[in-house]
Amino acid sequence: MAHQAHPYHMVDPSPWPLTGAVAALLMTSGLAIWFHFHSTILMLLGTVLLVLTICQWWRDVVREGTFQGHHTPPAQKGLRYGMILFITSEVLFFAGFFWAFYHSSLAPTPELGGFWPPAGITPLDPFEVPLLNTAVLLASGVTVTWAHHSIMEGDRKQAIHSLTLTILLGGYFTFLQALEYYEAPFTIADGVYGATFFVATGFHGLHVIIGSTFLAVCLHRQIRHHFTSTHHFGFEAAAWYWHFVDVVWLFLYISIYWWGS
Amino acid sequence: MYRHVFALQQVARRTITSSARRERNRVPEKQKLFQEDNGLPVHLKGGATDALLYRATMGLTVFGENQSLLSLPLTS
Repeated sequence: MAHQAHPYHMVDPSPWPLTGAVAALLMTSGLAIWFHFHSTILMLLGTVLLVLTICQWWRDVVREGTFQGHHTPPAQKGLRYGMILFITSEVLFFAGFFWAFYHSSLAPTPELGGFWPPAGITPLDPFEVPLLNTAVLLASGVTVTWAHHSIMEGDRKQAIHSLTLTILLGGYFTFLQALEYYEAPFTIADGVYGATFFVATGFHGLHVIIGSTFLAVCLHRQIRHHFTSTHHFGFEAAAWYWHFVDVVWLFLYISIYWWGS
Repeated sequence: MYRHVFALQQVARRTITSSARRERNRVPEKQKLFQEDNGLPVHLKGGATDALLYRATMGLTVFGENQSLLSLPLTS
């Protein structure tokens, strides 16, 4: 069997980039077909294909790293750069929505009444559920750090406990936010206030769900002894993502919920 | 009432962590399986289920691609 004389990861040929690309095509063209022809089949097919691609692709990454040993220190460095670049792109994604919010709220037009919140809008009280949500996410930042230290110290039981608690807190945030969405006296169609509020907080909520899922996968892997005290990058990436989600919320809370009320 | 909540919490925690604790380390077995010199690519190396999932995914891919192309004339 030939052995490589370098520490980099030369991946096996994989079908998942192709299936992922087709999934993206189906989801986008499916969206257009839904808008114009009221048929959702193409879009749903695309979503199913996306989920299948995601599960099998990342399953393979776990196999390559944990079972085949391909994630050498230089390879791991590349993975770290990759995750940092991805999170940076997400920061810029949210920056756009904050730009939109500040563009409209710093100079409210006469159509809005010349003030912010606009005429007719009853904003949510920032010191009720939104403040609780802030506490929940800050606490989850503490528990995920606890989980990291537990993993580094080889404390299996505490790692499982603290990681579970982190996921539960994420679930609690999502539940509370869903209730807020249901009870809110304004909708996404209520002018620029509604649009900026629900698009910014909506994408944030989606990222909370994604982050919670990533952490749940890490919990599954921790239970199955995938992580060692010195090698657990999958968890670190999930923790970085989780802190990013927390920081975005803090900006949302200060800007839209508090200053914007 | 709070005693009952606390007791339930303890039972739930012990159930989750005891089942997690009982989980023995199967990583060495997985390492042996995925390092076997059989020429299989990583996405098929896990066994028969891999091939099934791959075929289903590729089938949906081809079918979906066809459907997308067929719906293109509709959009003009």
